[in-house]
Amino acid sequence: MNRLVVLGIILIAFCAGFFKTSGYHAAAGFERPSKAVASKSGVRFQSSFASSKKHIQTHAASEIELKDGRVRTFWFSGSREGARDVEIHSAVFDPVRELWGAEQAIATREGTELSLMRYISKLGNPVAGRAADGTLWLYFVTVSMGGWAGSSITTMTSVDEGETWSAPRRLVTSPFLNISTLVKGAPFFYSDGTMGLPVYHEFINKFGEILRFDKTGKLIDKQRLSAGKDHGLQPVLLPRSANEALVLMRHTGDDHRKVISVTTRDGGEHWSAPAKTTLSNPDAALSAVVLTDGRMLAVLNNQEQKRDALSLMISADDGITWENVYQLEDQRDQLLEEQHYLKTVAGLAKDIVATDVGEYVESVKSPMCTGSDCRFEFSYPCLIQAQNGDFHLVYTWNRSFIKHVWFTQAWLDQRLKESGHD
Amino acid sequence: MINFTDMTGLASSAVAITAMAVRLPGVVRLQRTYFGMLACVIVIVVLIPFGGLPLAACMRGWIGDLSIPSLVLLLLSILRPVCACPPGGELHTPSPGGVGNRGDRSKYASLAMIAIAALGLYPMALGIGYFDPYRLGYGNSWFICGLLLIALAACFRQLPVVALTIALAVLAWGVGWYESNNLWDYLLDPLLAIYAISALARAGIHTLWKLRRG
Repeated sequence: MNRLVVLGIILIAFCAGFFKTSGYHAAAGFERPSKAVASKSGVRFQSSFASSKKHIQTHAASEIELKDGRVRTFWFSGSREGARDVEIHSAVFDPVRELWGAEQAIATREGTELSLMRYISKLGNPVAGRAADGTLWLYFVTVSMGGWAGSSITTMTSVDEGETWSAPRRLVTSPFLNISTLVKGAPFFYSDGTMGLPVYHEFINKFGEILRFDKTGKLIDKQRLSAGKDHGLQPVLLPRSANEALVLMRHTGDDHRKVISVTTRDGGEHWSAPAKTTLSNPDAALSAVVLTDGRMLAVLNNQEQKRDALSLMISADDGITWENVYQLEDQRDQLLEEQHYLKTVAGLAKDIVATDVGEYVESVKSPMCTGSDCRFEFSYPCLIQAQNGDFHLVYTWNRSFIKHVWFTQAWLDQRLKESGHD
Repeated sequence: MINFTDMTGLASSAVAITAMAVRLPGVVRLQRTYFGMLACVIVIVVLIPFGGLPLAACMRGWIGDLSIPSLVLLLLSILRPVCACPPGGELHTPSPGGVGNRGDRSKYASLAMIAIAALGLYPMALGIGYFDPYRLGYGNSWFICGLLLIALAACFRQLPVVALTIALAVLAWGVGWYESNNLWDYLLDPLLAIYAISALARAGIHTLWKLRRG
């Protein structure tokens, strides 16, 4: 072929390439969440179930505050984790009426498959975020082959606060068959309006990453947070200032399990080596937020084995030391023989629901009891602070329901005063 | 309404399936006209939905969207029997004469580049250390400058296939041909990497065998 023709094609191609890169820019520090207004609702701490379907497994809840102050929650639900009938469900909590709306399926495997025009074998963790233009984005895990290590991320958007959703679209985040990117942590903003999404990788090696999206939702960058023996998964980013942030991650190692942390002092350009924190971790997800005064509030299973206890913890020194504020769940010393277990579950359910306690207990039995042995699980927390200062926490309750805990700043202040951490 | 990037992605999977199907023993021996007609029929059939999804969509779920070099190679392998293209474009069989002529030089230069890129990219992208070369594919100017230099060098070293393949991949990324926004996905895919590494290994063994036999 004529060399001039080849040179001409090279020129045109690279002009297109350089034109595409001209709109890209480096990250410009972190955006701190907007200041919460003091709540007028006084001391409040109350629980309910966000999910309503019984005799089904639920897991991996995420939530986001809507523009009118309501809270929309997402989770996956099906006959068991990883089953082909798993769907992404959603429901809305109205704090004024103190009521949950009807649970609805917003993404199914079959519908996602048709929209993505590719085979999908199962759905997984959903995470919600709001872009700079106000659009809601839902990121959720989809798998085409293998287990969770074969995951990719799929997105949907909503311009009406989650009432309706766009067709799902696939994110391409990995060069190797686009496998092994999963999502759990909440999105955050950079000061230039671009959005960061903490994700993690599980195939061959396990490590945390951050994906960065431009204002239109296009993926424009990714950055590795951890590598080596201290495997960190499910990162949660806590911005301390424009340049400083702490990332907490689930520990997947075999022994001395502690929450893994990495930090940055240059707006996310570089990250420190992973280090173990003082928080214990039984290879389970955690959630955390930064309070307006800079303190950090976290929810996690603060133990090295099992997920049968869930703690609300606070740090006043940028995550170096943590104090227990409140024990949200604690079934560590319970007998796990079926009859006693179901009695205990009934007692717990009575504190949350007024009717149908027997049905709730029966729903828990199937996923949590094997033979005559049963177990408790309170896991995968997601904590947010609403614009009015109230906190909304959702988490997996014995793999059967998504529990919602609503507490106010006044309740937190009272707890801190009582426990001497004020 | 199907997205543009779904159409291009499905088309790449259809090409992959067709390229495999036309390699079946009975098909290879067909007359040129019948071979061309059969290839067209296969492309159409794998794009027709059966039970919700076309076969091409199932394939796409497993292998993703093919890189531009893969697409070019597979298209060439399908079209070659139809248009009776010269064997210079053939990249899958070591030619008996070794690595001497220009076609071979172009072929082995392409294979070597693909193999080196794959051996550099995949282990690091899968978590060996902190450096992730895949990140460069999100519009890193130095990465694109490097590719430009390689393309120009290939052009002036009379390796037009190498130069054109790189240029086409960059052009496809620039116009958003696939749903990926990462340039690496247009340059390389795991199947291409496996092909390049195994073809080089086979050529190496072939050369060694010839040397031993004198």
